[in-house]
Amino acid sequence: MSAFATRVGRSAITAGLQAADVYRLFARTLYYVFRGRRSRGATLEQLYLIGNKSLFFMTTVMGFLGMITVFQAGLQLERVVPDTSQLGASFAELLVRNFAPDIGAMMLATRVGAGIAAEIGSMAVTEQLDALRMSAADPIDFLVVPRFLASLVMTAVLVIWGAAVAEGVGLLTGWSVFDIRPGTFFNLMMVDVGDVVVGLAKCFAYGAAIPLLSAHMGLRAYGGSEGVGSATTNAVVASSFAVIVLNAIISAAGFLVFPQ
Amino acid sequence: MIRFMSLHKRFGEKVILDGVDLEVGRGEVFFVIGASGVGKSVLIKHLVGLLRPDSGEIWLDDQEVSRLSERDLAPVRKRCAMVFQHSTLFDSMSCVDNVALPLRKHRALGHEEARAEARRRLADVHMEELADRFPSELGDGMRKRVAIARALTLEPEYVLFDEPTTSLDPISARRVDRLIRDLSDRLHVTSIVVSHDLTSIFTIADRIAMLYQGKVRALGTPAELRALEDPVVQQFVRGEARGPMET
Amino acid sequence: MIAGAAVRAVSGIGSAFLGIALEVGSFGVLTARLARRLAPPDFDGTELRKNFYRMGVRSLPIVLATALFTGFIMTIQAGVVIGRYDAEGLIGWAAGFVTLREVGPILIALMFSGRVGANNTAELATMTVTEQVDGLRALAIDPLSYLVLPRVIAMVVLLFLLTVWGDLFALIGAAVMGEVMLGVSRHVFLRGLLDMLGLWDLATGLIKSAAFGLMIAIASCHFGLSVKGGAPGVGRAVNASVVAAAAGVFVVDYFLTYLLR
Repeated sequence: MSAFATRVGRSAITAGLQAADVYRLFARTLYYVFRGRRSRGATLEQLYLIGNKSLFFMTTVMGFLGMITVFQAGLQLERVVPDTSQLGASFAELLVRNFAPDIGAMMLATRVGAGIAAEIGSMAVTEQLDALRMSAADPIDFLVVPRFLASLVMTAVLVIWGAAVAEGVGLLTGWSVFDIRPGTFFNLMMVDVGDVVVGLAKCFAYGAAIPLLSAHMGLRAYGGSEGVGSATTNAVVASSFAVIVLNAIISAAGFLVFPQ
Repeated sequence: MIRFMSLHKRFGEKVILDGVDLEVGRGEVFFVIGASGVGKSVLIKHLVGLLRPDSGEIWLDDQEVSRLSERDLAPVRKRCAMVFQHSTLFDSMSCVDNVALPLRKHRALGHEEARAEARRRLADVHMEELADRFPSELGDGMRKRVAIARALTLEPEYVLFDEPTTSLDPISARRVDRLIRDLSDRLHVTSIVVSHDLTSIFTIADRIAMLYQGKVRALGTPAELRALEDPVVQQFVRGEARGPMET
Repeated sequence: MIAGAAVRAVSGIGSAFLGIALEVGSFGVLTARLARRLAPPDFDGTELRKNFYRMGVRSLPIVLATALFTGFIMTIQAGVVIGRYDAEGLIGWAAGFVTLREVGPILIALMFSGRVGANNTAELATMTVTEQVDGLRALAIDPLSYLVLPRVIAMVVLLFLLTVWGDLFALIGAAVMGEVMLGVSRHVFLRGLLDMLGLWDLATGLIKSAAFGLMIAIASCHFGLSVKGGAPGVGRAVNASVVAAAAGVFVVDYFLTYLLR
């Protein structure tokens, strides 16, 4: 029992120390966002890389998500209330407020998060970061800031794109399987200010958390290919879990601020 | 007896082996020498099926081994052990477990029996005190000795050494040399040693083959090689920076 | 100009599809080669136990935490709809249904893929680039039955068991959140849950979790073994493995949802 308590205590301390590190990284990133001297091209390049690398993946996953959701919902509705006219509108609301940002960000946490950690981690173990420092360039300014800014923008863009894909595929599924009029999917009556605000707040929170946590894991990688592997693994876990925790917090806040 | 017959191998566009013919007799310490990247390691990896030739044959006694399936290669690999250049110990296991693994898998020993036997094997290479350490905690020379102990556990008739003395300090290197010589003298184990360590080459080799541009350029005893007038061979055996050799 | 961009886009999509077809094909080959080692069983028991323990210890805390938060989130999200219709009795059903059938298995699988699958890829990839896999082959030990199959079995069984526990934690989280945020008593929650859901809802989720486990295990082992190019290669392999596993989970989910209605 005491061994267990020790373990829990030790992991709590480690987590606390890491959180402090991530906070410092966040602060320095913000500082360099306004004061940095990196070229603008770097951010543009990252925008292109993050967007381009994730577009196909996002489209596939959100397409399948749209199919699955409408299919499950349709089955249940047929069982409970045989009226499917509301399904389209509810689906749109669910997408804007929850599914598109939450599942989309989980996907970006694996895609973008692992990518950032692998890249920065490889540079760390091959001493390229030290080489950067030796040429008086802060790796945070040169590597983290462009990824941070790009992820902030691209998460929102990809989530909106993903929502559109899921909506379209959901519409086709509802139409072909349950004979739901496609028009009902364009009924945005149920999507109100609260949904949009919550959805966008999630996009920005996730978009900021994923690159910061992943960069943090990459920067502290050490020890050859094993080090890169564990940095990448930790980045995926930390950013996925951050998405889930932020989701709970923002959903609860949204529920309190915009009660229906 | 091991025989390579007009072995060809290329990686993409790059021709590595361009018709190698060699014969290695029983109990010999046979060195394959040549500049880095000339395909020495590639050659011996063919013998145990870690690489497959594009064409040519490899005979181990009276069996052609280059086209065997992974499953049929198992008996070949038990007779023909390999010591990798970077030792390649399993870093998730302690040294004793590294050596015990082949015993457990192929001699059907239980965990404890295999460990006890593995400890005896480690004692043979003077590593019994560090048996419970993990490979990452040891230096290159010690890792090499554990790797040799592991390769010898199944009492192979042939042992392939891939640059056994590269990256070792001179003292560890000479110890490894003596171990290889002893294997041949006392147990009649045949060793094929890939190396460019001139000291090893001229102290323990029975015969030497020099690879150059995908072919065997020279073959013979150390004394014969020294006496050859081929400028490429001379440049290599004297370790000169200038000469006709293209690297 | 525009035509050129269109051609590039089409050829890009085409080569992406070809790439995916190639990977899916090699997943199939790996699965078949592993299946052949199941009958008669040919895998290392020690490795199986070791991996089972290691992977379990690694993933249990994060999976349970994920499940708990999933329960919170599901209740809050259901609360938005439930509040509108004034149908408190349905909250247990809504949260339970979504959790057991879809969100629980998927989120737990994604977390498991990040924690265990990615780590497994990193380990296998490191072993491959440092020639340890060739080292096994040189000792006449079959890497598939010694190294890979125990990991695949451990991952499939473990994800299944973790989902059982995760479901429990998610429902507890959902009930707690219902009481705290929505003022729905846990008895009402429990009644809604038990009255309207059957064993089948639980079973579909668990069947899915086993399939997700196989998907994750195969993807993670395949990318680990086929790694190329040193330390950066290991990072890329891990990245490819988690991405393929995540996409694979949704694709598998779609087909199973259709089959298991």
